[in-house]
Amino acid sequence: MTFKNVTDVQEKLQVVGYITSREIATVVFLASATNKPILVEGPAGVGKTELAKAIARAFDCELIRLQCYEGLDEAKALYEWEYAKQLLYTQMVKDKISDVITGAKTLTEAVDRIADQEDAFFSERFIQPRPLLKAISSKDPVVLLIDEVDKSDPEFEAFLLELLSDYQVSIPEIGTIKAVNIPFVVLTSNNYRDMSDALKRRCIHIYIEYPQRELEMRIVTIKIPGISVRLTEQVVDTVRNIRNIDMKKKPCISETIDWARSLLALNVEEITPDVLLETLNMLCKYRSDAQAVKVKAQELVN
Amino acid sequence: MINPILKFVACCRAAGYRISTAEVIDCVEQLELVDVLDETEFRAALRANFAKSRRDQEHFDRLYHLFFHELRGDLSEQEGLAQKADQVINSLRDQANGDRSHNAIIEFLSGDPLMFLEMMRQIQTQGDTPSLGMKFNLGPLANRLRVMVGLNKVREEIGRYLQDNPFAFNSAMRQELTRYFHEYLQSAFALLLKEPRPYTDEQRGYKTHEKHLMELGERPFASLSAREIEDVRDVLDNLVRKLKDIISRRYAQNREGVLDVKKTLRRSARYNGVPVEILFRKRPPKKGKIVTLCDISSSVWSAARFMLNVLYSLHECFEKVNSFVFVSGLKEVSEVFDNNEPNHAIEMILKDLEFNYYVPTDYGETFRQFKHDHMDILTKRTTIIIMGDARTNYLHPEDRILGEMRERCRRVIWLNPEPLSSWNSGDSEMYAYKQHCHELRQCRNLNQLIEFIEELML
Repeated sequence: MTFKNVTDVQEKLQVVGYITSREIATVVFLASATNKPILVEGPAGVGKTELAKAIARAFDCELIRLQCYEGLDEAKALYEWEYAKQLLYTQMVKDKISDVITGAKTLTEAVDRIADQEDAFFSERFIQPRPLLKAISSKDPVVLLIDEVDKSDPEFEAFLLELLSDYQVSIPEIGTIKAVNIPFVVLTSNNYRDMSDALKRRCIHIYIEYPQRELEMRIVTIKIPGISVRLTEQVVDTVRNIRNIDMKKKPCISETIDWARSLLALNVEEITPDVLLETLNMLCKYRSDAQAVKVKAQELVN
Repeated sequence: MINPILKFVACCRAAGYRISTAEVIDCVEQLELVDVLDETEFRAALRANFAKSRRDQEHFDRLYHLFFHELRGDLSEQEGLAQKADQVINSLRDQANGDRSHNAIIEFLSGDPLMFLEMMRQIQTQGDTPSLGMKFNLGPLANRLRVMVGLNKVREEIGRYLQDNPFAFNSAMRQELTRYFHEYLQSAFALLLKEPRPYTDEQRGYKTHEKHLMELGERPFASLSAREIEDVRDVLDNLVRKLKDIISRRYAQNREGVLDVKKTLRRSARYNGVPVEILFRKRPPKKGKIVTLCDISSSVWSAARFMLNVLYSLHECFEKVNSFVFVSGLKEVSEVFDNNEPNHAIEMILKDLEFNYYVPTDYGETFRQFKHDHMDILTKRTTIIIMGDARTNYLHPEDRILGEMRERCRRVIWLNPEPLSSWNSGDSEMYAYKQHCHELRQCRNLNQLIEFIEELML
């Protein structure tokens, strides 16, 4: 599960429909070559999550996703014991248990005998694996996406550190589980808060910006095969102009694509201020933003 | 290969980056994997390891450019020039009088920007120390000037040296050298003038922003400027987002229902110890209802608007929010809030011309009207929040009705935007109402409001 070199990364990702700049490709290549996690930062909608998905597609392996939120704990991220199953099994094998303890002379002996069987109840059979354990114990290589890690609590971040540095987890009743294959880990962050230095130190960092004009045009063309060059140019230029306005939420790549798609659906061949105003809700998600664009519609289009 | 990287790291550290040894090792390892001659790859590898946050990146790019492009850029091409340049620098070193900034500049010219960068950073951080009273940035400014003078002095010294030793250099070489040093001094100037700004500005903005919010927390609502009102809204938006997360999780978790081991075991006793029935934790707690009564005479309105704003932003966490505003009479405004975004709704209420804001507040009449028209909305799950200064203008307080309301609802909370010391002074009937309230709170600034909302919700 490695790339040959930086160009190889770019080519393989392009095949699965993700176009990268050389800088991003370099970081992806380095991460795959050194088995280090990538920490992806950048504004919403520039394709942070998509990068992980594309890598999974390029390797043709499973993507395991862990969505972080405040209050996410180990039980939700790593594993949980299935109490109900344990209890039911205990009932079902009750006869077996009495077999085990028949002939025991003292209570202590009976307890000892049962204790010998303890493993049966705390085995992997009764563990419900959550994303992190799944990723680690998977027989095939996987891509592990830890999405919006900045939303998680600092305690969880500390717990991640252990996982990311050794790729192993310890379950008290069973022991340490070591990764069969080291997963390709991608962490994304929205800058909701700063990540700790310790976590940053273990990761390779990449900040994904809004793409350059040419890159964005290539992305639009590859996502919407039928679009004309002229319309692509206009769409990308207009969106880039809009991004220069001071707004709450700037239109990102996914919005560029959505907008271009809707223009195609409407059979628009030429973007005029009127067209922009009519389709504005594809680009602006806040009323105040839409207002700001409306005022400048004329100059934005040209 | 390793040496220039280590030197670069030293410079980065001098400029204030925290780069750990582990990161340096990683970076050197990774450089062996990429094509070092391809600059994008080389730079990406350095950047991915050394500048690990958005804030650092711009400054990192500048340092990178300085180190790998501006300094020693063309030395390898012209060996002769390098030797001569070293000769000039050595003579400058001999003349040096031990002044730190002077030394730093000379080292900078010799291609080692470490001391100079460190000095720059000192100047910046000095600018960051908050001074008491009036704020001056004269300190850093003076320091910067001093360095500038130093730079000019070095330039003169170089010129003088070149003139004093006419036989050491031919005229072409002299021109070359002048140009060479000029470029270096220029980039030092650029560092001095341009470099600190984006870097410190961001840091300073960040720090004072937090401090600003802290101060904002203690300011009475009534004395906020328009700009500060916006800031308060931002803070409240953040609060709302946080609370919503916590609360939605509380409901989500309970809906799922965790196995209740205790109850399951207890119940199994019925079936000879077989856990036939597996019991789970309870269904989610029922959501509460809120009824707010807001005095919107000017004395209270500034605080009430923020509270309404928060409550309505959180409205999905309650089953229902009914709100009323009053001055001399009561008016239900729930509908305005249901149909509009909170801030907008508040503006609409203020502009509502039917409502007479210029009459004395009449709490008694308000309560009488409430009893007459709206008593039925109070249930045992309702929390009443009254926001007002309890200044009845010497009219009948009708505190008895508040008592009746208390009988029918779960909790009565009174928020008073006046400072504690003036409660019950003059026409304030706070103590008449007090006996009927479960809770009395002061709510005159952001911190108190946040505290109240958090306690209410959690």
